[in-house]
Amino acid sequence: MTLSVALGPDTQESTQTGTVTSTDALTAPDIPWNLVIWNDPVNLMSYVSYVFQSYFGYSEPKANKLMMEVHKKGRSIVAHGSKEQVEQHAVAMHGFGLWATVEKATGGGKDGGSGKGKGKRG
Amino acid sequence: MAKAFKYGLKGITGYLEPAERELLRSLIDDVISMLEPADSTSEDPLTALIGLDMDVQEPSDRALRRLLPNVMKNDGAASLEFRQLTERSLRENKIGALRAAALGLDTNELVLSPADARHWSQALNDVRLVLAERLDIRDDADAEHVHTMQDWSQAEDVESYLALVYNFTTWLQESLVQAMLQSMEPRG
Repeated sequence: MTLSVALGPDTQESTQTGTVTSTDALTAPDIPWNLVIWNDPVNLMSYVSYVFQSYFGYSEPKANKLMMEVHKKGRSIVAHGSKEQVEQHAVAMHGFGLWATVEKATGGGKDGGSGKGKGKRG
Repeated sequence: MAKAFKYGLKGITGYLEPAERELLRSLIDDVISMLEPADSTSEDPLTALIGLDMDVQEPSDRALRRLLPNVMKNDGAASLEFRQLTERSLRENKIGALRAAALGLDTNELVLSPADARHWSQALNDVRLVLAERLDIRDDADAEHVHTMQDWSQAEDVESYLALVYNFTTWLQESLVQAMLQSMEPRG
């Protein structure tokens, strides 16, 4: 299995900044939240990688890297976004049987994926 | 004996013996009955309509708690609030996948569409999560120990039987997921 790749540059938001509209800020200050996947002894490594690829649309190397991080470190941040976004992802992960929780991003945490979780690829 | 799932011209195909199909059907039925709400008869029609369930509690059964985990690690109140909003549809989603997989168990030869395959992988995963709780698999060492049980002639008590069933479903899911990953690769 592809074990890891060099820490992805993962150009944070660089392509998205043009679309920011600050005026319709109904959704309160945009505090980032993390989606965390926890290790468990049951879920197959292949299945976890499949879920990351099919649900988030992550490449195979990225999915495998996050999966190995879950496996070795016990947890990995696999996506972040607004509270609502990561909660939606968490429910989807529970649907797949993965053990997912959400948490407020504490800042400085650079571990895990930078994925914004684009949602289903269909 | 069952054959591993394969990805080929017809899509994802597999083969199960009648006894294996019966076994899977009963495992799936068990998980469905765990997930079905306790008393859906007495419930408020509005509750049913909007999917909001104010009576829901964190499950006391460990296996059920694993299927329907808290959304926050250290905040029971917020997790419960979230559960009231989402647990019902999560249960329905899981039951839907389990039923879809059970429906496919009518023939020995299995031909799975991409949607079927996804339902099967989810259903097998939920079945394995429940079996693992019953087997008390808490860490990788426990899983490794269970994994050593491969010989059906060793099945002399409930636990060893469960371990063999768990290993069978693990093998089946692994072969299915490998076939699904292959089907996702760009071809040509």
